[in-house]
Amino acid sequence: MTVLTGPEVRREASEHASVELSGVTKRFLTPGGTAFTALRDVNLAVEPGQFCAVVGPTGCGKSTTLTLVAGLERASAGVVSVGGRAVDGIVSGTGFMFQADALLPWKTVLANVALGPVFRGTSKKEAQADAREWLRVVGLSGFEDHHPHQLSGGMRKRVSLAAALINQPSILLMDEPFAALDVQTKAIMHNELLTLWERTRPSVIFVTHDLEEAIALADRVVVMTAGPGTVKGVYDIDLPRPRGAVQEIRFQPRFVELQRQIWQALREEVERAYARTAAVPVLEEVARS
Amino acid sequence: MAAARYTIRPVTSGDEAEVPVQARQRRRRHRLLVWAARAATLLIVIGGWQLFTTWKIVDPFFFGQPSGIARQLADWAEHGTEYGSIWLQVWITMKEALLGFAIGVAGGVIFGVLLGQIRFLADVLGPYIKAMNALPRIVLGSIFVVWLGLGTTSKVMLAGVLVFFVVFFNAFQGVREVDRNFVANARVLGASRLAIVRHVVLPSALTWIIASLHVAFGFAIIGAIVGEFLGAQKGLGLVIASAQNNFNPDGVFAAMLIIAILALTAEALISRLEQRLLAWRPQAPSEASLT
Repeated sequence: MTVLTGPEVRREASEHASVELSGVTKRFLTPGGTAFTALRDVNLAVEPGQFCAVVGPTGCGKSTTLTLVAGLERASAGVVSVGGRAVDGIVSGTGFMFQADALLPWKTVLANVALGPVFRGTSKKEAQADAREWLRVVGLSGFEDHHPHQLSGGMRKRVSLAAALINQPSILLMDEPFAALDVQTKAIMHNELLTLWERTRPSVIFVTHDLEEAIALADRVVVMTAGPGTVKGVYDIDLPRPRGAVQEIRFQPRFVELQRQIWQALREEVERAYARTAAVPVLEEVARS
Repeated sequence: MAAARYTIRPVTSGDEAEVPVQARQRRRRHRLLVWAARAATLLIVIGGWQLFTTWKIVDPFFFGQPSGIARQLADWAEHGTEYGSIWLQVWITMKEALLGFAIGVAGGVIFGVLLGQIRFLADVLGPYIKAMNALPRIVLGSIFVVWLGLGTTSKVMLAGVLVFFVVFFNAFQGVREVDRNFVANARVLGASRLAIVRHVVLPSALTWIIASLHVAFGFAIIGAIVGEFLGAQKGLGLVIASAQNNFNPDGVFAAMLIIAILALTAEALISRLEQRLLAWRPQAPSEASLT
């Protein structure tokens, strides 16, 4: 996008930004009182500055992985480490973009973006100046005094992105951030995300169920099995960077090849997950044809 | 032929500029009609009351009379009540209600947020609060009068207790209903527990708390009046009690009318406050309904 000239890169991708999960298992207690294993023995490494996409069928524990890395939840077994240190509590230096809007509806766009610095004790004035700058970066100058409900879905996502990036995170965790957007808006957001990411290069873990999205954006795609989730396969995406227009890249032969290859692995899991919820195996025929 | 009668006529002559104009006209007509109907309702009720009592279909000795109520009000305004001027009585009652309201709201919000945030505390105190809420708290009025005397303090306490529970339960529920995404997001951004309460929990619960204030102020007035009824030296409740003892229904109704006006004024002020504090919402539901 053309408007993107903003805060300069303040941090080189460093070893602080590596993420490693080894032998991680997460169990929950269901409301019914039984134990439920969301993740089993997950091993996953994200190198500093790497864009890692995690794909898998619905309910395979993708989102749980993110909450573990952010320190919002703790692993039942195994070690989650960020920057070589085991996670115990909220990891500072992470940005999180949620699937649903996490913008506070009672605060203006500006105040929402300024929350990060305000929580970290920056003076209100400085925080607001910073927020203004980030709103400019995501192309929302002039909307500072609007409330979130006055914006379109795509604009709200940009605000969320600005709010997540304002703390200059070395790790950006994204939980199906664009799932609720229409296809065109989604494509625009992909381009903007890549432009922003290529400038500051945080490590990214991007959870999605959309394989095309994963391949178009990421350096590495991790396929997870149907729940309890574990890593089924890791695929390095060797498409050159900068990727340019995400819509175009889909037509490259290498993209199509990668997609076919990964889909082989993913399809089985999707079918397993679907069979479990729907218990109607008839559709397998359709999916195969 | 019959079908033709039900075809939808275009509302405008195709000009977009006319849409808001017509909408405004329709709205004005509607408002006019509502006010006319309101006036008619009042006229029928008051007029009917006056006529029925004049014709002795119902006994004015028990039911009072609108003209008598008006005379009573004029008399109070001119000569005052047996406990001093009527304005003094109004002021005393309002003071008790407002103080009780303030104490009850403050207590309700503080306890609601505390118990909503700290699960352990809620589990420990929950049953006791429920038990206290189940008590007929009006009865506490007589205890307060014994403890705190006939002055204003006992009424303030009663009003405060009544208000507390209304606000408390709403604040508690509001805190419990906070979107967990908001809290998770704030935590990731580095918010302390106190900052989360201030920036996320309280504003989120505010919708619930403010909704309770409408009911709560009614309770504050009830508390003050009942307290005065049970034993006081001044106040509208005492005026009502003495009118009742003198078989003066006009006096009872006149005092009730004053209280109603006070309550409506307070209600309007609270609605104002609501609009101010909840201005971020797409549209306040109170705007759409009873105004």
